[in-house]
Amino acid sequence: MQKFTLLLFTLFILTACGKFEYSPNQAFDENTPRNINEININRILSTPGDDTIRFVLSGDSQRSYDSDVKFVELVNQTPNVDFVVLDGDISDFGLLQEYKWIDEIYKKLKVPYVGVIGNHDYQGNGEKIYENIYGAKNFSFIYHGLKFVCHDTNSLENYNDGTTPDINWLQTQFDDPNVSGFVPIGHVPPFSAEFDRKLEEPYKNILNGPKLICALYAHVGKTDTYHPYEEAAPYITTGGLDNRQYMIIEIVNGKLNTKVVKY
Amino acid sequence: MENSTPKLLNIKYLLCAAVLLFYTSAFAQLGKTLTPDVVLVQYAGSIGYGSIGAGYDVFKNKRGNLDFVYGYVPRSKGGILHIITTKFAYRPFKINLGENFTLYPVNPGVFFSYHLGDEFALSRDHEYFEKGYYWWSTALRSHLSFSNELKINTAELLHDKGIKNVSLYSEFNTNDLYLVSWYKNQETMSITDIFKVGVGVRMAF
Repeated sequence: MQKFTLLLFTLFILTACGKFEYSPNQAFDENTPRNINEININRILSTPGDDTIRFVLSGDSQRSYDSDVKFVELVNQTPNVDFVVLDGDISDFGLLQEYKWIDEIYKKLKVPYVGVIGNHDYQGNGEKIYENIYGAKNFSFIYHGLKFVCHDTNSLENYNDGTTPDINWLQTQFDDPNVSGFVPIGHVPPFSAEFDRKLEEPYKNILNGPKLICALYAHVGKTDTYHPYEEAAPYITTGGLDNRQYMIIEIVNGKLNTKVVKY
Repeated sequence: MENSTPKLLNIKYLLCAAVLLFYTSAFAQLGKTLTPDVVLVQYAGSIGYGSIGAGYDVFKNKRGNLDFVYGYVPRSKGGILHIITTKFAYRPFKINLGENFTLYPVNPGVFFSYHLGDEFALSRDHEYFEKGYYWWSTALRSHLSFSNELKINTAELLHDKGIKNVSLYSEFNTNDLYLVSWYKNQETMSITDIFKVGVGVRMAF
């Protein structure tokens, strides 16, 4: 009966470890983090900071856990970072376990992070899981006079049905006279094939303006700077953590400095 | 003509009755072989919050299982999800623990779970998505499993011949996508990170 005891003991340990899974596609479980963006934006806003806004733009953490762990170590050694943006393709397959693995890694950052939805995050039940863990797909916050407008640009995942990006929501976000500059952040850049062609024109008309500092994206797999609409402010894509790349972005008095980190 | 209609109908009825009779007897025969050997209920194990199923002993030594399972995840547990699963497992090792208890310590198996519902698809709409870009199916998962099972000879213990035996089992599983995730990240991930567990009861009649 010793073996029987061992079996029961093993079962007990497993229960304690919370390894029971109802489905890889379940929308949450009892230890799923919730409302990460809202909680972390409050943390960002409660830090005093200084004239220099310095944040990290990272993306495409999908199925690159070794690289993601390294990334967090590197950012934790970088001085004066205010916050980190995880710009979509958080997960590869849209599974709950992937989202949880990523948050376990990202929550080891010394500074708060926000997560933006990417096309891979839509897979399976992923859209619902994103909303459970991070919150609304479109959100914004104002930090030291700059408005960071994080939004869903995954048109194709919505079958180019005209809802994504949400032009009306963006318009209300950019109708804000009290900010000194705008930093829109999405996963799929507007000149990408996965962006709804019908919405490209109204989209860039909203973004482009004297107060646009830069528009930030990921998705395309390389770090690059574009001026697709002959605007002064650059449209920037960051290479992904899956390619061991991220960017440090610094804005001082409306002036932009960017640095690419490859590791 | 009017008279012939009821006649024709009669023939139809007769034919129908004959066909029905044939199928009933055929299914009765088939029914005997189709009657499952076990019924099972399971908690968790990646195929539902709760699931129920029926199974067959396969192979002459009855060491193989073939189970057909329906699982449900309620909204309050991260659903609603409906999952259909086909399981196969084999019991290579057997340890007798006294007269009425048998332990099958490690039973390897495979199972396939299919998620019903609009969010899940066997393959993507290629009108929108380039073939191969999303290479996996969101509806169908292939799992590897290892279970351990304690079989209790209830017929003997309870002097009730209705149920031959009852088995308690725990089943560890991982799936294709977890394996792919682990494979490329072995510096920071352990194989135990990708195994999930369920527990269940099998009853043999």
